[in-house]
Amino acid sequence: MKKLAVLMLTTLCAVSSIFAGGQSEDVTNKSGETVITYPTYRVGSHLYAKAESTLINGFNEKYAGTYKVEVEELPSDQSYVEKMKVLASADSLPDVVEGKNGVLELAIKTGRAIDLTAYLEADPEFVAEIGSAAIKANTIDGKIYSISNANSLIGYFYNKKHFEDAGITPAKTWPEFMSNLQALKEAGHTPISMMTGENCWTTNLLFAAYVGTSEEGETFMNTKYPTDYDNQRVREGLEMIQTILQNYTTKDAIGAKYDIAANHFLQGTTSIICNGPWMAGDFTNEAKASADIMNNVGIAMYPDNGMFAEYGHGYMVCSEDKVHQDAAWDFIKYKTNAAAQLVMLEQGNVLPLTGNVKMSDEYKAANPLLSELITLSKDAEYEFITLDTNSYASVIDEMSRDYPALASGDITVDEMIQDMNAAALRSK
Amino acid sequence: MKQNKTVQYLFLVPGLILFALIFGFSIILLVSTSLTDWTIGSDRVFVGLKNYINLMHETSFLSSLKNTIIWIVLQSTVHVAIGTSVALILMRKKFYWKFVRTVYMIPNIVSAAAVGMMFSIILNPEFGAVNNFLKIFLGHDFSQNWFMDKSTAFGSVTFTWLPYAATITILVLAEISAIDSSIYEAAKLDGVTGFQEVIYITLPLLKNIIGTCAILGGTSMLQKLDIIMMTTQGGPRDTTMNLPYYIYKTALTNNDFGMANASGVYLIILGSITVFAINKLFHIGKDKG
Repeated sequence: MKKLAVLMLTTLCAVSSIFAGGQSEDVTNKSGETVITYPTYRVGSHLYAKAESTLINGFNEKYAGTYKVEVEELPSDQSYVEKMKVLASADSLPDVVEGKNGVLELAIKTGRAIDLTAYLEADPEFVAEIGSAAIKANTIDGKIYSISNANSLIGYFYNKKHFEDAGITPAKTWPEFMSNLQALKEAGHTPISMMTGENCWTTNLLFAAYVGTSEEGETFMNTKYPTDYDNQRVREGLEMIQTILQNYTTKDAIGAKYDIAANHFLQGTTSIICNGPWMAGDFTNEAKASADIMNNVGIAMYPDNGMFAEYGHGYMVCSEDKVHQDAAWDFIKYKTNAAAQLVMLEQGNVLPLTGNVKMSDEYKAANPLLSELITLSKDAEYEFITLDTNSYASVIDEMSRDYPALASGDITVDEMIQDMNAAALRSK
Repeated sequence: MKQNKTVQYLFLVPGLILFALIFGFSIILLVSTSLTDWTIGSDRVFVGLKNYINLMHETSFLSSLKNTIIWIVLQSTVHVAIGTSVALILMRKKFYWKFVRTVYMIPNIVSAAAVGMMFSIILNPEFGAVNNFLKIFLGHDFSQNWFMDKSTAFGSVTFTWLPYAATITILVLAEISAIDSSIYEAAKLDGVTGFQEVIYITLPLLKNIIGTCAILGGTSMLQKLDIIMMTTQGGPRDTTMNLPYYIYKTALTNNDFGMANASGVYLIILGSITVFAINKLFHIGKDKG
């Protein structure tokens, strides 16, 4: 009897350990709604968290009884990209995926990204809302795999008071930009916020802007995934960055993450920061910006009339069956149509995809920097994409590790270029 | 007795099945895929030992291997020595011993990622407490980028975990409390000093637990990813790169799962050598003192 009891107990333990934790996937939930799986990193303290929440809740409300978006919150865009890579390798991408930092290419490679051309051809009204330019930017080999979610124009912000102290105005040429930095330093200000941690965002904006403001450089910066960085413009750009890291930035720029670089500008420590219009909301946020900064920030194009101009990769449909593909498409349309673009503009300072989405007079009055940015962009002679979009993630990572050595003189510019080339070849 | 043994083996079955399914299967998959050229979204192509050979020519991998070995040695010696020393002090149970034991435990109960973030702030060259304290102490301007200067990066990262040996202290204290007090009484009668007591009685009796702590300490260096991520990301250049971070980068930045898995196999081999070597050194589980 005792033996039998022991045998039954151990069998129960063994069997339950095998079947524990299983999960079944339903096409619909208990209410009969088609569940759309959607992971997002635009949560918590993210700049777009409010806009994201507005759109997701709005969609669930509008389509209650038909669709339900199941949100998976991820802590950062890096963790988002990493998770999507792992899911892509396991062929289990969710229904709606944002194609940033190589995820789009992976989804296409694994055959999970759906060609959306037929959906677009059946909805000319929606096509007018997102615009032909945004569609063209995301067309790959004649197919459209993603719908853009943002139009990014990026210049740099500067502290007007610091510029007045130094007796300077935004530089028209790169030599003038460097002499402005010297003038700011002599006026007792730390000229520019830089960072070499994470994806070296603010540093690489300046570097890429230098590279992009020449004819051959503009072509180079608008070509995706280069494997050879050995050209004159890149060399000069890295020399410029080396000089700035050594002489014109904060002591903690080496190894700094974005929050440190941003904080220095928001607290009035530094005079310039390269960043996108989404930062504008921080300038009037008392929790983030010092009183000196509020209403004291200007925006400028890069010297030689250069500006970053790119349409975001946006969202893809990666569902396996037609029911979920249609549902995911409806969700993407809701997230990127004219109404959504207005929400993203008003709640996230994200520029709309077309000029059809108008800024209200109240918005313009409250956000003069964005209006100024759009006005400036009309005079841009060179337009290019960011290094994050142009280069392999392995190259950005290599730059993050090489910038400290470049700043300390442990490596030369040529050695850094060789490392970048090797990193590009390592990426698969 | 025979019936008891059968029952014992039967109750091991669920654990063995779990181990086989979770660890055993994973290791087989790891080794088999390390022999392939496998990138995300591509089919696996068998390439034999090519990944292993290529890794031996990668300076970044060799740096990460070297750093990991150094940290294993440091953690299984210095870290354990610190923890054991604190335990030997606390075993006297002076008035402060409970307070010190609790406070010393704090760094070990805070998550490693939070510890990394805290040290990033404390050692910040611009506003960090350490630099500001040194400025006052030295009486002149002082700024050192502890994590990003090649000369101090390795030491700074090591400092974020090496001295905080509360887990070792707790384990050694528990073992000390299990020592028969009659041994000490007999030793007192023979006139041994406190120092002789520690050297000739306590430490030899702690051989097994110290050896176990050395294994725990050394092998913990095979999992150190979070602090490196929060502080230096393996930089400047590869000064603070370790194997776990190298594997993470190879898999999720370079999208090369084949090479990452080969690195993983090297990591397992290194861990096995660590455990074997420490076991041999301490003769763990053999004669007691």
